[in-house]
Amino acid sequence: MSKVLGICNLHDCPRLGRLTSKRSIGSVTFLGRYGLIDFILSNFSNSDIDQVTILVDKYSHSIRNHVANGNAWINNTKTGFQKILYNEKQFSSPKFNTDINNILYNKLIVDDIDADYVIIAAPFFLSAMDFRPMLAEHKKSGSEVSVVYTHAKNANEEYINCDTLKIEDSRVVDMGINAGKKKTADVSLETFILNRKTFDDIIALSRSISSIYSFRQMVEYVCREGIYKLNAIEFDGFIAPILTFENYVKYSFELLDYSKRSKLFNPNWPIYTTSHNTPPALYGADAIVSNSFIANGSRIHGTVKDSVISRDVIIEEGAVVENCILFTRTTIGKGAKVKNVVTDKHAKIIHSKHVEGEKDALMFVDFGEII
Amino acid sequence: MSKNVVAMILAGGKGTRLESLTKKTAKPAVSFAAKYRIIDFPLSNCANTGINKVGVLTQYESIDLDRYIGNGEKWGLNGARSYTTSLAPRQTEKGAQWYKGTADAITQNIDFLDNLHPDYVLILSGDHIYKTTFNDMIELHISSGADATISVIEVDWKEASRFGIMAVNNDDVITEFAEKPKEPKSNLASMGIYIFTWKTLREYLIADAKDPDSEHDFGKNIIPNYLNTGKKLQAFRFKGYWRDVGTLASLHEANMDVALNRSTLNIFERGESRIYTEDTFSVPQYIGPNGSVTRSITNQGAIILGKVDSCVISNEVLIDEGAICNKCVIMQGARVGKNVRVDNAIVGPNTVIAEGAKINVNGKEVVLLTGKVGK
Repeated sequence: MSKVLGICNLHDCPRLGRLTSKRSIGSVTFLGRYGLIDFILSNFSNSDIDQVTILVDKYSHSIRNHVANGNAWINNTKTGFQKILYNEKQFSSPKFNTDINNILYNKLIVDDIDADYVIIAAPFFLSAMDFRPMLAEHKKSGSEVSVVYTHAKNANEEYINCDTLKIEDSRVVDMGINAGKKKTADVSLETFILNRKTFDDIIALSRSISSIYSFRQMVEYVCREGIYKLNAIEFDGFIAPILTFENYVKYSFELLDYSKRSKLFNPNWPIYTTSHNTPPALYGADAIVSNSFIANGSRIHGTVKDSVISRDVIIEEGAVVENCILFTRTTIGKGAKVKNVVTDKHAKIIHSKHVEGEKDALMFVDFGEII
Repeated sequence: MSKNVVAMILAGGKGTRLESLTKKTAKPAVSFAAKYRIIDFPLSNCANTGINKVGVLTQYESIDLDRYIGNGEKWGLNGARSYTTSLAPRQTEKGAQWYKGTADAITQNIDFLDNLHPDYVLILSGDHIYKTTFNDMIELHISSGADATISVIEVDWKEASRFGIMAVNNDDVITEFAEKPKEPKSNLASMGIYIFTWKTLREYLIADAKDPDSEHDFGKNIIPNYLNTGKKLQAFRFKGYWRDVGTLASLHEANMDVALNRSTLNIFERGESRIYTEDTFSVPQYIGPNGSVTRSITNQGAIILGKVDSCVISNEVLIDEGAICNKCVIMQGARVGKNVRVDNAIVGPNTVIAEGAKINVNGKEVVLLTGKVGK
């Protein structure tokens, strides 16, 4: 079996408005229980990739708190590992705080990892992706670099500003940007499979090209300059691209639908996450709940409709919550009516009797805010 | 804690009164309150007390329970100075034998205890539901100079003849012990929670092992022997929620106490009365468009498309469209089919109730459902 290093790349990720103003995209709560990073880490784990590094650009505390020792994802806790790599030197100069500079800053650590192949992946395309057949396809192709892509049928609405690929005979011949002008496009999932030496060579080459290039830009460079032939590997499974706050909201609600949810959550492909020792959820005598996710530790005494309720949320008697995403430890006080709202952790809506956002532009209540 | 206390949890019993729930699982490993197993309670109580050396005595169907206990990590009992392990009967130089009684289980592990050099040994039962720290009891044991301290709870006088009853003097020193007395002299029932000064207990265990007439049981032999030889036995009055969940009815009732939030057993408390357990990698519970959940507790992974009232729903349970469940304890992985009506039941793990089945509707007695139910 080949040794693979999985790299979760948190550099150069989209910002999700105020959701990412204090935390990394990787630790943004999703569906009441997960951090967005759980999906990629679980994909590595389920694909038997037990050597994982997480490249963190900033808010490293939020990732550290979420993944802890990584044991939730690691199969063998002695031979496997999950290392958080962070560029202390350049974190205050955003232009230079790139994934490549992070790898170079931690070069001695990365060099020490024994791997034949490297899979570097973005955490914001949520999917149940098995890397094993992709790695086999990469090896079979004889290429040194493979790019995983999706054939998007709604590229005029989704994947805006993502890299597009021009593919001929499974080869990437050109790369561009999705401006949303065409309905279909082959979109890069910013997931690259490389032979280890090629990975090292691209990192080394970047020093003579640009000090501020990201790995993704270097892949584009080597493609354009014809330095390597890029193999294209299609992923035809379900993807929830979390590229904007609106996407985040859209997919949170869409996944309430079992037919969609079952494409992301499969009993044979568990999504692992950190355990919080929360008790089960409690429903009071007057609880009315429909079409909603409820995470453990919540206490529901009011009405919840079409919503996503995270851990340890309290909905008091007479409160009505509709079309909302409530983060951990939110409290909705007695009689409050809350509609089209996203609350960050520890928010309290206790005084105001009516808080409502727009259906297409949910109102955001920040961390710890009291309304 | 300045004194070295080792806890020993008796978890080897068969639990026959739980019928097929304990067919392949020891009673302490049976599911409780949607997310927990019964043994989470004594283990969490140890953790919250600061006791980090725990031996769990297992015997009947021990694979699942031994795996569950592991190195105690689920309760934080795997720290730098911790030592937690399950202790199933083993072959030794002297031969191999099963645990013949509660006291014999400890006797056979005297070497385990000696290695940990305890000052005191806390004996607990693996099938009780209660939340406490044992600090007050340990302090009382030390300050009273007792050889053993027994935790007691006041029971209804009418019920007293069902328990092991302690008669005490004005200082709560035990003067008499009677197992299920016809005419009880007190209403203080033993909870099966004992603190022994190890040095003394060790002597009594060795003596008891040599007695051919002994049943090697704490309640029947060791405690009476202490009393008969003038050892000081102190009663510690426990206040709060405590249930022995050894029968289907009591297991059901204790689950309902949590679901209906009608007891002092608050599983939502944080801090030193938190109960720890194993987590599952489940999607948060989902309540469907036509679903309804009231007066219930539900664990992650459950999908509720029907109507549920006064129920305890474990992980990966499916309550299908049109199904109605009242006063049910539904354990992990069970599937309640479309338009089923089931009342007052314990539904065992992975039970499948076929579409349209009507079970125990308005029934007064708790029924147990396992395997495949209905057509």
